[in-house]
Amino acid sequence: MMNTLKVLRVLRRVQIRELGTAVQASPEESITVDKEQEILKHPDYFNVHNLFTVEDLFNAKVHFGHKLGSLNEKMVPFIYGSRLGHTIFDLDTTAEYLRKALNVTAHVAYREGLILFFHRGAQNMHLVERTAMECGEYAHTRFWRGGIFTNANKQFGAVTRLPDLCIFMNTLNNVLIEHTAIRDSAKMAIATVGIVDSNCNPNMITYPVPGNDDSQSAISLYCKLFKAAILRGKQKRKEDSQ
Amino acid sequence: MLRKFNARLLQLSNNAACTQLVSKLPLCTSAPIEDANKKVVSKAMKAYLERAKEHDEFMAQKNLEFQIGKRHLANMMGENPETFTQEDVDNAISYLFPSGLFEKKARPLMKPPEEVFPQRKAAEFDLMGRPHHFLFYTGKPNFYKLLYDIVERVNECNRYEDAMNRKSIQRDPNLVLEMSGYQWLDKDALEKQCVEGINDKEYNNFKDAMERLTKLPYSYKVKDFIMEYSRPLMMQTKTHDVPELQYDKDGKAFITTYECLRKRARADVTVSSPGTGKITINGEGINYFDDIHCREQLLFPLIFTNLHKNVDVVANVEGGGPAGQAGAIRWGIAWSLRSFVDQEIVEKMRIAGLLTRDYRIRERKKPGQAGARKKFTWKKR
Repeated sequence: MMNTLKVLRVLRRVQIRELGTAVQASPEESITVDKEQEILKHPDYFNVHNLFTVEDLFNAKVHFGHKLGSLNEKMVPFIYGSRLGHTIFDLDTTAEYLRKALNVTAHVAYREGLILFFHRGAQNMHLVERTAMECGEYAHTRFWRGGIFTNANKQFGAVTRLPDLCIFMNTLNNVLIEHTAIRDSAKMAIATVGIVDSNCNPNMITYPVPGNDDSQSAISLYCKLFKAAILRGKQKRKEDSQ
Repeated sequence: MLRKFNARLLQLSNNAACTQLVSKLPLCTSAPIEDANKKVVSKAMKAYLERAKEHDEFMAQKNLEFQIGKRHLANMMGENPETFTQEDVDNAISYLFPSGLFEKKARPLMKPPEEVFPQRKAAEFDLMGRPHHFLFYTGKPNFYKLLYDIVERVNECNRYEDAMNRKSIQRDPNLVLEMSGYQWLDKDALEKQCVEGINDKEYNNFKDAMERLTKLPYSYKVKDFIMEYSRPLMMQTKTHDVPELQYDKDGKAFITTYECLRKRARADVTVSSPGTGKITINGEGINYFDDIHCREQLLFPLIFTNLHKNVDVVANVEGGGPAGQAGAIRWGIAWSLRSFVDQEIVEKMRIAGLLTRDYRIRERKKPGQAGARKKFTWKKR
């Protein structure tokens, strides 16, 4: 129930923003209002629950957190315990949050929203960019020039449509400070999904997913899952509009 | 709002599944039908279309003005306006508005408006406002796409290497990508290719990435990609043709170089071989110059090529002072000697700076100061 309410809330926000800044009419008129409501109230319309199992998360080393000393106290509810001085995430909780995030992502993709992937760090940058390209969405894995969201019309020299959902593969930048785009998304009322490690602050993220954000195996799993969710959303849209 | 609602109703009525729903609702027949088929256009696209329209109108206006101006100019010059070309326009402008300004851009000009006003970028997004490029939000999509492509090639080479190692196939040592004699596309050219401003740090990133790709053992697999971003290093001396030797009636080889310039001096220099190292300047010997420095200037190209005992030099020089005259003759000798030595030594002469024309001239004295740069002694009061 909570899940659905949250989905509704963000989708309403997305819709309002579209009305305000980007799109004038509702995204698709061939889908009736009733059907829209039905889709939004459906607990798992895109069947994202079957995309992964907790075992997949474990195999991808999602449960590994940072050293205990760097633990952010806001992350305590998602922690299972510690082993050899390292925090270990509770993968059951992670799975629950990840499914919520995937569901929202699929819904945004279904309603033809713009999805922007973020990642800082050279190791997995290319992977994230490729994921974005393969699912027809957008990526920003480079230095964040301030004002891309908050001063977009000046920066791009024209009225520009901003993304509807930002997905952060890690929320810290190269110098372990929170990515400025998180703050800017919040300012511009853009929903965010973020993988938060044990040293990150989940407060500014709309849909935090506790988990390891450093390993290549974990990042490639997230990329695979979000890509699948987006493609499902787009596929469903094609089927429904026929 | 009502109109939109009606439009939706109309569309619903087309849908067979919704006929029941529609039958319950009052259908307003006066709703315009075009509205139902109207595409959803984002605000971003609307703003772009407006700007594009404005720009087109502006350009049409400027074009008209240019055509009229051209006709007037042709009439003023007494030419046929129909056959008046752009070259004629340029000539007429430089005739009617002679300008002593050094900077060419600052001189009066009359060019077609397409050349005067900068080109505008086409829309980077579709009707819904979705950007076309997946790296649009980085602000430099083309440049970052290039970096992305480089990494893609690196991965490709690495995969290939792994496959070869698995099959334990040795790499053919003859198939190596030879990059000496090539240099990477310079920053300006890269900026032009990407249509984006690139800073030095980003340009270095590009070069580093390319170097890394080139150093991979199987980089010859992506040769086409690498060559696209490299340019051959041209040997500078090859750009100038070395003249053929001429022979006088005694069978002596000689070369005459006219217009040897340095400061305000002008010389023509004839170098002939075989000779004994005799130097004639305006009918005098090397004693024409009083300074040792000037004499050394003359001899430098001869000693450099080790021909100071094998050739004769005859020079006529006028204008300027001793240093300028010596410099002019030095350049003339070096320029002529190219025909007497082989390509390798010509390249050495170029590197030594013997074949480079010295364009430095005297800087004028400025009012309020003692010289070109020198200031009067500063006294507080």
